[in-house]
Amino acid sequence: MKDSFSFLREVEPNVFIETYGVDFEDFEVGQVFEHRPGHTFSEASSLSYAGNVFDLSPGYADQRYARRVYGDRIKVSETFVLSAMALTTKTFGKVVANLSVTDCKVEPVYVGDTLYFESAILGKRKSKSRPDQGLLHVSSRAHNQDGAYVLSFERKLLVYRRNVGPYTAAGY
Amino acid sequence: MEHLCYPGYIRVGDNRYRERYGLDFEDFQVGQVFKHRPGVTISQQDNVEECITTFNQAMIHFDSNYAAQTEFKQPLIVTTLIVSRLMGMTWKTFNRRKSILEWKSIDMLAPVFGGDTLYAESEILFVGATSKDSDAGLIELAVHGINQDKVKTNEMRCSMLIFKRDHLPFSANNY
Repeated sequence: MKDSFSFLREVEPNVFIETYGVDFEDFEVGQVFEHRPGHTFSEASSLSYAGNVFDLSPGYADQRYARRVYGDRIKVSETFVLSAMALTTKTFGKVVANLSVTDCKVEPVYVGDTLYFESAILGKRKSKSRPDQGLLHVSSRAHNQDGAYVLSFERKLLVYRRNVGPYTAAGY
Repeated sequence: MEHLCYPGYIRVGDNRYRERYGLDFEDFQVGQVFKHRPGVTISQQDNVEECITTFNQAMIHFDSNYAAQTEFKQPLIVTTLIVSRLMGMTWKTFNRRKSILEWKSIDMLAPVFGGDTLYAESEILFVGATSKDSDAGLIELAVHGINQDKVKTNEMRCSMLIFKRDHLPFSANNY
């Protein structure tokens, strides 16, 4: 196990600070991380999410209409399914910023489904212009409770390198 | 050159009009650009609520003290909120959407902070051929986020299915 796979740091005897995110140095190409918890989409969260992002499409706003299109199950909006990628943040919590997402494919997800994410490290390199940061290339996908993969994408993000970044100053 | 187009109402009786949204699949052409309105001002509270809803644990989005120590000096609005809002803000023109199939790319070009206002703008890149008996057709589009200073904050390419004319689940008069 790598040093930053720990989730507590003992700062003095018997005093621990919770930590988030694997250090850039501890990521290796080929590692796969299974993220927990999963995310169960409820009827309330799915319909309120569509409204909260200003989407008044009848597929969400009007459930009489939606049943004609999607059947008796309530379909979760694709943007909410994509947003469940936030479940990867425990491992990638030392993020500086997301740069891009590519090849994001989404299959239908319905209320009551639970998604579990996993991420594979495809590549890493130090940033030339940002010496305190490194660039990660990650492939993530999510499967539902039946093991069917319903979301996949690749992502590039910047993460802080070990012993730099805002952590000490911010009390992390 | 300027003229109004695409009816926003269906006449359902004498002096009675029903609101109508969205272009039919047949209306889309490569090269069309749509400037979606209204824009939306995103607050830091929105940012926190998005992180709660999606179980986001990255403190850059909701710990201002932590964020003050970063190059951004304040919390970054989370990517998932920006993508979802921008896609949502396109709903009037793309109201007849059956589903989103794919995002080929989502590029984050500039940071977004609480208090920024985003406007969505889309451009049709591809309109697919469809068979006679399919109820919907494929379009590919670019969706841009543009802030109050006219800075492009992000750009997405996505593909979606749009219902063809007369194939909406309710009768044309109802929607």
